[in-house]
Amino acid sequence: MDDLSRRLLQRLVRRIPAQALKTTLGKWDRLTAAQRQSVDFTQPKWTITETLLAIFEENEWTMKHVTELEMIHIIDNPNQGMWYAFQLMDPEDDAKSVELTQFKEQFKAHLSELVRHVSVKIKKHTDEAVWIRIAWGDSFSRPNHMKPTYVVHHLQTPYVFVTSLTSKQKPLLSQALILSTRHQGIKDANLSGRKLAAIRDLLMKQYQQVFPTKYPGTLTEKNQTVSNPRIEREQAELGENRFQMACEAFGDGMLPQLQSAIYKLETKFRDHTNKTMTEREELPFKCVVKFSSTNLLESLRECAASGIASTPVTPLLSSIPLKGRNYFVITDNGLGPSSQTNQPQN
Amino acid sequence: MFKIVSGFVRYNTTIRMERQHSSVVRTPLDSVKVQRRSKSRSYRQSYRSCLGAASRLGSTPAFTARRLNTSRKAPKLHNITEKVNAEQLALLMKSEWKLSYVTPLYQFRHTQLKSYSRQLSAFIAAEKQQGLAVEVEGSQNSFRVSFSAVQGMAGTDDDAETVLIQIHSKSIFARQDEHQRLIWSGWLTCINGNPDYLRSLPKDFICLPLFGSSGSEVLTSSVQSWFQQNFDCCFGPLEISHTSLQWLVALWTNCHTESNIQHLKMIWSIPVVPPLQITYTVNPQDAWDLWNSVRKSPQEEKETEEEEGRSIDIEEVMQFMQGLKSHFYRHFRLDLSAGSLKQVSTALGSAKYNGRIKISNSKYMITTLTLLTEGALLKMPI
Repeated sequence: MDDLSRRLLQRLVRRIPAQALKTTLGKWDRLTAAQRQSVDFTQPKWTITETLLAIFEENEWTMKHVTELEMIHIIDNPNQGMWYAFQLMDPEDDAKSVELTQFKEQFKAHLSELVRHVSVKIKKHTDEAVWIRIAWGDSFSRPNHMKPTYVVHHLQTPYVFVTSLTSKQKPLLSQALILSTRHQGIKDANLSGRKLAAIRDLLMKQYQQVFPTKYPGTLTEKNQTVSNPRIEREQAELGENRFQMACEAFGDGMLPQLQSAIYKLETKFRDHTNKTMTEREELPFKCVVKFSSTNLLESLRECAASGIASTPVTPLLSSIPLKGRNYFVITDNGLGPSSQTNQPQN
Repeated sequence: MFKIVSGFVRYNTTIRMERQHSSVVRTPLDSVKVQRRSKSRSYRQSYRSCLGAASRLGSTPAFTARRLNTSRKAPKLHNITEKVNAEQLALLMKSEWKLSYVTPLYQFRHTQLKSYSRQLSAFIAAEKQQGLAVEVEGSQNSFRVSFSAVQGMAGTDDDAETVLIQIHSKSIFARQDEHQRLIWSGWLTCINGNPDYLRSLPKDFICLPLFGSSGSEVLTSSVQSWFQQNFDCCFGPLEISHTSLQWLVALWTNCHTESNIQHLKMIWSIPVVPPLQITYTVNPQDAWDLWNSVRKSPQEEKETEEEEGRSIDIEEVMQFMQGLKSHFYRHFRLDLSAGSLKQVSTALGSAKYNGRIKISNSKYMITTLTLLTEGALLKMPI
């Protein structure tokens, strides 16, 4: 076992909590029952590391085996960095027929053509997702296993999720993906977040949505002693209406956990009380607005339901779940750079 | 109210009781009888009865001065680089400071700074021995405290000179010439304090209401308790209020033509579950154009003011904020007024609601500290 694999294994053991490590080793299924028993997970981390290193040496396992272990852990615990979504475009006629073995071979072949030193590992997960681990090198250096890129792609869908990718590696990965999935292009889906499941659900619309319905209010009659029952009822109706519209815009129940949304606004300043600014020639008022929360969609839904945000919800905000994106460039004419959205007129 | 009685003892105890103790701080000991009469009255009444006509409220009997000034001078370029020692200035701009207010110091003398340095060193050493400050540094380390006056850092002649305190740590095994590490620094200042108030103070009191500290909390509380014991004052946390933050938005934006603010960044927090944070960053030129558009036309101003720079009115500040909010609302149909402003930052500095401030440009330090001094005076429980 070389020094690099030893270091990677040490780091892996250090980062994974003891109980999770036990589970990961169980799933990995390479240790014999006796070996598994020899690892005492109540011991300090360095003792566990020593034991595992000894087992690896004994079996003459290499980097390949350490990365296997890492992949199993990452697949089970994917929320450890920023995930960025990409979308494949213009499928070829045979795009639908690409299956796993073919994809695997093609992807590895194309990427090694583009980069001299690269190490690729592909694993199919139970939920139909294909997980790819890439350790990048270049013409002069060996693949760096300490900083791998992870890519998740659901075959036969246009969606790709990527974490830890540098701008230099991006065109290489894009090229390999386009060729091996039989598409003609790939674009930034303008969606990113810390929870892989959340951005996947948003893009693939796998969460509970509410469709607009005009339904009769299910108001129960209020106690007659209330000072003004009509006002009460009206307020309750308004509240319920707001809640319904908030759910129509953002969804019902638990919502995908998105952390932020960013809007680059380059629109004119329009305010009837401020003539000077409104009449500024052709000049947009430039600003960037970032919304953040531990669960952005739930926060926004409550803003709308409580009246802090007016209903019906503006398309700018409802576009997050509707279009499955959280980065927008807003201009007045809608003909801005790649990712603009038309500014609603009011 | 019963605690008022205990307030008559020269206190050197906790900050928690500051309210009840309030009347003592600035009052010479021989005026105890006056205070006793105020025993059963409310806090505000005792404030009034103690200060009487000499109050900083001057001729205004009502409590209008409990609010921030509604108009202030436009920030002028203060070339304090010429007046203030460059090293001291650099230190003031290096850190983010945690703010507190301090009640006036009894018998504090700017001529005694050397002796204070020794006393505070000894005090910290003693606290360390009691095991209070051990976790700050390894126990082999000794502390060296130095007090210095920051000359030239003042708004008017009524302001007491700013005092800078630095604590260096030194291993006792280290050689004489070995470098000493700065582990804590702090300052007490008063910039453009209300002159009526400052003049109303009895002779033995020095008013340096704004205290900033940077370094371990343990040392901060050691320094504070040393001041409390020696100068009969009390400290309390100073938040930078919603209104002060809005003032800073305007004051800093107003500087843009002279010193590029790079960006105007404001952070709002909206009270929903889970809490929503909105960061609104405006292009500096667009922010300035908007600010310029809400400024009253110069003709409305008195001519005499033109030389000194036009003053800024709270209405203009509010209109500016309204403009920013309405542009936001037009896009998101979400009312920022429902939340509160928590943080403001530009290239000139940053200010947070929890009382942390960083001043990155010395030219506008005086303007910012004037506002904060005012806030500290208002927060003081007397």
